[in-house]
Amino acid sequence: MGRFIVRRLLGMVAVLFAVSVLTFLIFNVIPNSDPALRMAGKNPTPTLVHNITEEWGLNDSLPQQYVTMMGKIFSGDVISYEGRENVDERIVEGIPPTFSLCIGAAVIWMFFGILFGYLSAVRAGGLLDRALTIVAVAGISIPVFWLAAILLNYLTYQTEIFPSGGYVEFAENPLEWAEHLILPWVTLAIVYIGIYSRVLRSNMLDAMNEDYVRTARAKGLSERQVMRRHVLRNSLIPIVTLFGLDFGALIGGAIVVEAVFSLNGIGQYAYESLINTDLPPIMAVVLFGAFFVVLFNAFVDIAYAWLDPRIRLGEEAR
Amino acid sequence: MSEALLTVEDLRVSFATQSGRVQAVDGVSFELKPGEVLAIVGESGSGKSVTAQTVLGLTRSHNATISGSIELGGKELISAGDAELRDVRGARVGMVFQDPMTSFNPVYRIGRQIAEAIRAHREEVGKAEAHERAIELLDSVGIPDAARRVDAYPHEFSGGMRQRAMIAMALALDPEVLIADEPTTALDVTVQAQILALLERLNRERGLATILITHDLGVVAEVADRVLVMHEGEIVERGDLERIFYSPTDPYTRKLLDAVVRIDTAVPLRARRESEALLEVTDLVKHFPLKRGLLIAREVDRVRAVDGVSFSVRQGETLGLVGESGSGKSTLSRTILQLLEPTSGSVRFEGRELVGLSRRELQPLRREMQMVVQDPYASLNPRKRVGQIVGEPLRLQGEAKGGELRRQVQGLLERVGLAAEHYDRYPHEFSGGQRQRIGIARALALRPKLIIADEPVSALDVSIRAQILDLLAELQADFGLTYVFVAHDIGVVRHVSDRIAVMYQGRIVEEGPADTVCEQPQDEYTRKLLAAVPIPDPHEARARREALGTT
Repeated sequence: MGRFIVRRLLGMVAVLFAVSVLTFLIFNVIPNSDPALRMAGKNPTPTLVHNITEEWGLNDSLPQQYVTMMGKIFSGDVISYEGRENVDERIVEGIPPTFSLCIGAAVIWMFFGILFGYLSAVRAGGLLDRALTIVAVAGISIPVFWLAAILLNYLTYQTEIFPSGGYVEFAENPLEWAEHLILPWVTLAIVYIGIYSRVLRSNMLDAMNEDYVRTARAKGLSERQVMRRHVLRNSLIPIVTLFGLDFGALIGGAIVVEAVFSLNGIGQYAYESLINTDLPPIMAVVLFGAFFVVLFNAFVDIAYAWLDPRIRLGEEAR
Repeated sequence: MSEALLTVEDLRVSFATQSGRVQAVDGVSFELKPGEVLAIVGESGSGKSVTAQTVLGLTRSHNATISGSIELGGKELISAGDAELRDVRGARVGMVFQDPMTSFNPVYRIGRQIAEAIRAHREEVGKAEAHERAIELLDSVGIPDAARRVDAYPHEFSGGMRQRAMIAMALALDPEVLIADEPTTALDVTVQAQILALLERLNRERGLATILITHDLGVVAEVADRVLVMHEGEIVERGDLERIFYSPTDPYTRKLLDAVVRIDTAVPLRARRESEALLEVTDLVKHFPLKRGLLIAREVDRVRAVDGVSFSVRQGETLGLVGESGSGKSTLSRTILQLLEPTSGSVRFEGRELVGLSRRELQPLRREMQMVVQDPYASLNPRKRVGQIVGEPLRLQGEAKGGELRRQVQGLLERVGLAAEHYDRYPHEFSGGQRQRIGIARALALRPKLIIADEPVSALDVSIRAQILDLLAELQADFGLTYVFVAHDIGVVRHVSDRIAVMYQGRIVEEGPADTVCEQPQDEYTRKLLAAVPIPDPHEARARREALGTT
């Protein structure tokens, strides 16, 4: 176990390094205007542009620029080109709305994804299964931005049931916090409910043909016990992988949902930075997102060993 | 004659499939009396397992049609509701399945799964009490150190221990009837002997009425009182053990009896071959290191799978390599073919050293050495047509293409007893025996000199085994093939081999002419292997049991 964690940490550092180098290179390869020129304002004088270039180290070699930027990101001194604000501070501000959104949505989608998948599998071929299949396929196919717009239109602008976007701190008013987040949660969760219920359904249908399920029936367990203890339990293992990947990726940017509901979280910040081709925040946000993807991947591996005793961490496969 | 415990009358089970209705069981009637062991014998697809599973309602599904009557102690089971059926399952009738690996849920501890069976019927039993009971049960079926092993996961048990645990679970609620569906088919011969002895002891000590389902008449002779022979969903013959063995009336029964390979009958002596050595293995070693360490993996131990093996095989002869699971015989086969890199030692093929050759250098030699593997289900790609599977080696080696390839492959298919029109079919359309023929055709495609057959018949029914063994012998005569025949069953090995090498813990403990090894075994382990082979003759089986003092 100790060895596994050490190896995973080293792997994480390597991945984050590769991600940051690639992001940095891509930014320098794609055509974009000189940051110094943009920072100089509407009527730039050559001297001003020159000074800014010097001051920001934009004439240094690429490796030098990379090292400087990474140093600043990790010391909390990195300043964006656009608006010249402290990037790390903006990210820290973005954490509460982003985490509130992702965790809440994850709870909703895991609950309904597993519930719908379970019901579909148990009633496979029946009316309920067919109805849930339609719901799931619709959830997967409806574009998030369209769904968000529709929900906002009917539930906010026309009926005023929910407030129109924005984020309220949980500590300030928990009820308002939830009220502001319900629409974003639902919008974000619906796609995943569709995917997870379909995946779980097919896992369970496979598991039902396993010999140990027949053994469980032969022991005299009730159908419900067979389904829950043996079929569902074993079918949830692959769902954990999916969840780890999806959840990690979302923390780095539930861009559309954050933007539509003006949650001002990390996704929205990423979106703004990309529009402005603003390198310092792009680097910081990408690293932030990549960190969580890698972290949740490691969690998944640990969870696997706990869920499936045949897997032992940190030992060489023979 | 005591009252029957279980009465099955005119049982019919059919399944709706895409290609029409399949009548799996077609009018089966029998009785099980208290304290007897009833064997149901038949090949795959004879309906014997469906019959057994229908007793517990395990075949109920929306595409199954079940009619007739199954009475357990006066209670009708076919029309019983789900709740009534559950009271029977596990509590009054215990069941043991073929594959103990897949029949336990891999994610729960053994003890918990046994406790679950107890608590499913006795809600008043607490968790701790059920756990205690699980330990007692494991102990009673001969699991050493049961108090500790009760908390193991299924994968931490060996095949034989898993099957013991499976039996313990079936006995958890003291059932009146035990149904064992091919309980030893997935096990080594030595382990099979132990499991059969256990079933016999339970029957004797507890008076447990047992239905034993098997394809192997050798197994039946060891333990059964009465025998039903099933074929295509019907019972073709029934009678006491001795009558079935010594005066069978049905031709199908006779066919099954003939198929059983008898270890105690000498195989007609083959022409002694004084040809040159084709394969020479010297001091071959294959170790798998076990590594641990925080940052740098250090070798802490090694698995000595093959630990200094030497033997040679002459042109045109068959060397039988016998050993139990874990003896290293499969690793040895793969190491000889350079599919695994040897740790040290030498493998010479036609005098040429193979160890140390690069992939490219090995490529032309690969065609001379082919392999037939055990599992004819897992070893054929289910999404490829038979023609593609058999033709692949020819295509890869650039031997033939287009119409010529097709013609050659069809010739091969016919040569192994299949038909040319099987070319365009998929593996799932074939039976186990036919699939093994496909595997043999694939191995033959490049006209190899040496074929290493790793358990080629152990996944097959006894009746099919004989056909495949005959085919291998025929091909050997026609093409002058040399075989290394690897198997756990020394009876089968004797049947096909000129010489036998016995492998134990990575080493060869005995080697010699087949008859000598089987009749005058020198090594203790060889004697153990020989004693484990079931004898398909009730008198001799009993005599041997008495001699060994197990009765």
